[in-house]
Amino acid sequence: MPRFLLRRTGTALLVLLGTTLVTFVLARVVPANPAVTYLGPRARPEAIARITRELGLDRPLPVQYGRYLADLLRGDWGISIGTKRPVLAEIGDRLPATLELLAAAMLIAVLAGVVLGVVAARHQNQFADHAIRLLAIGGVSMPAFWLGLLTQMLFFGRLGWLPATGRLDSDLEFTHPLTEVTGLHLVDALVSGNLTTLGDAALHLVLPGLTLAAYPTGVIARMVRATMLEALAQDHIRAARAYGVAERVVVWRIALRNALPPTATVLGLTLAYSLTGAFFVEVVFNWPGLGQYAATALLNADYPVIMGVTVLGAVTYTLTNLVVDLAHARLDPRVRLT
Amino acid sequence: MSTQPLVGVSGAPMSTDGAAVVEAAAPTRTRQLLAALWRDKLAVLGLLLVALLVLAALAAPLLAPYPAQGAGAAAEVKEVSGPSAAHWLGTDPYGRDLLSRILYGARPALLVPLAVVALAIGIGVPLGLVAGFRGGRLDELIMRLADMFLAFPPLLLAMVIVATLGPSLRNAAMALAISWWPWYTRLVRGITASLREWPFVEGARTLGLRDSTVMVRHILPNAASPIIVQATVDIGTVILATGALAFIGLAAQPPAADWGLMVAEGRTYVLSEWWLSAFPGAAIFLAVLGFNLLGDALRDLLDPRTVTR
Repeated sequence: MPRFLLRRTGTALLVLLGTTLVTFVLARVVPANPAVTYLGPRARPEAIARITRELGLDRPLPVQYGRYLADLLRGDWGISIGTKRPVLAEIGDRLPATLELLAAAMLIAVLAGVVLGVVAARHQNQFADHAIRLLAIGGVSMPAFWLGLLTQMLFFGRLGWLPATGRLDSDLEFTHPLTEVTGLHLVDALVSGNLTTLGDAALHLVLPGLTLAAYPTGVIARMVRATMLEALAQDHIRAARAYGVAERVVVWRIALRNALPPTATVLGLTLAYSLTGAFFVEVVFNWPGLGQYAATALLNADYPVIMGVTVLGAVTYTLTNLVVDLAHARLDPRVRLT
Repeated sequence: MSTQPLVGVSGAPMSTDGAAVVEAAAPTRTRQLLAALWRDKLAVLGLLLVALLVLAALAAPLLAPYPAQGAGAAAEVKEVSGPSAAHWLGTDPYGRDLLSRILYGARPALLVPLAVVALAIGIGVPLGLVAGFRGGRLDELIMRLADMFLAFPPLLLAMVIVATLGPSLRNAAMALAISWWPWYTRLVRGITASLREWPFVEGARTLGLRDSTVMVRHILPNAASPIIVQATVDIGTVILATGALAFIGLAAQPPAADWGLMVAEGRTYVLSEWWLSAFPGAAIFLAVLGFNLLGDALRDLLDPRTVTR
């Protein structure tokens, strides 16, 4: 295992280095005048000259890349053109909102996906199976931004059951102010015993959480269905049934235990996919997280922010894949040999 | 060379020089495939949806009730109106007929993903063939390059590339192709590397055929099925991706009749004029659903490893 761990971690680091090369090329080599891209189209010539000097844009490209890497590692990710604040600090401010949304979506997706997958496999080729398969493939075919709008139309516009945008009711700021510790509203409200805010934060999470969960739910349900079908066909399941073990126990305890490890792999990948899904869901629900931050930056060509979020995305994605691979290797010894 | 009839990896018979006789077997296999597809209800639904999309894209000018992408001969008063007998799906705030715009929108919705997937295959497949066939340092180099592109969350790299090049439908398509090719490289490299040791490939090399001939005539036909399955699903995914890019303003620009853009334009009115976003979004959903259902069915039929349903 240690050799596999070392080799796999080494590859991940190498890939990460590669991604910084891609972002570097996009930020500094592709644009005709990177200083203008960096400062925005309305920059004055003096500012352009200054930033050219400061960023070392007049130096050879390998030197520039070295400096870019050193800055990244030092935590100097540049200053946002839009807000004039350090990019890394702004990312830190907005990260909790995105994490909370992702956690809610993944919780919904895992619960719903596993139950749907097991039920479909249990009733293979019957009505429930067909309905769930169609639902799952519908989930992965659904544009998240459209689903978000539809849920807003129905649950906010028509029924008035749930809030449509934001993380909290604006009145609560005055009536029940929240002491921020982690930035995760649910956790902060729970820790400080602020139950009114806790309820409100939870209600605000429902629609964006459900919207973001649609895709991973579909993926997980399909994966669980396939692995459950394989697991249910195994000899020891037949033996358990022959011994008269209750069907409920056979399906939910014995077979599901065998079906879950492959699902863990898919879980990591769908989590990574949901990172980009969160972009669009945050835009639709006016959710003050990283996705909304990045979408605004993309439209305004706020380069330091775009590159910062991109590097963060690549790091998170690569690390998720690494963790998934290592977990997979732990669960399945054959992987370590390849 | 053996005198016994040879069978390729895909099950297709092979000629005596070792080449898979894909051409001769094709009509029968296609017929079998279509018959099998026909038996799967979800696959038929997928085929139907894809056929509708193709029909809308080809015949938009004939089918659309109002010309000029729904702008021509609209109501006297240029204003938004709900679904009615004159405008089945309603009109947008400029009085443009929504149904006509959705029909015209089928063109970019189909053409862009086709172009993206074709480009991704054009770049990814040759690289995968070379990497898998040659192995060694070249293989390492190509695969690490692919890994670099695959290290970004899906769509993120495309979004950044569009932001660098400037938002437009063409740039969005290019950006998507640039971030999509490594999937094909990885797929084809795996198949090629496993086929390289097979007797029919070794035989072809022993006969003195050039490497490029062996790759194209002997290995590529055996990789065709997985590529077709991947491409079918990818067309759906790219429709979704282009829609998402357009939604945040990074692909098609107004006044184009583009589904993602139309959803974005209707967003402001979502609580009152619901049809503005609902119908174009439904078009995206149905198109993607069609390709996903079809891709799923093809995977089950073409991939022998899939558990039979």
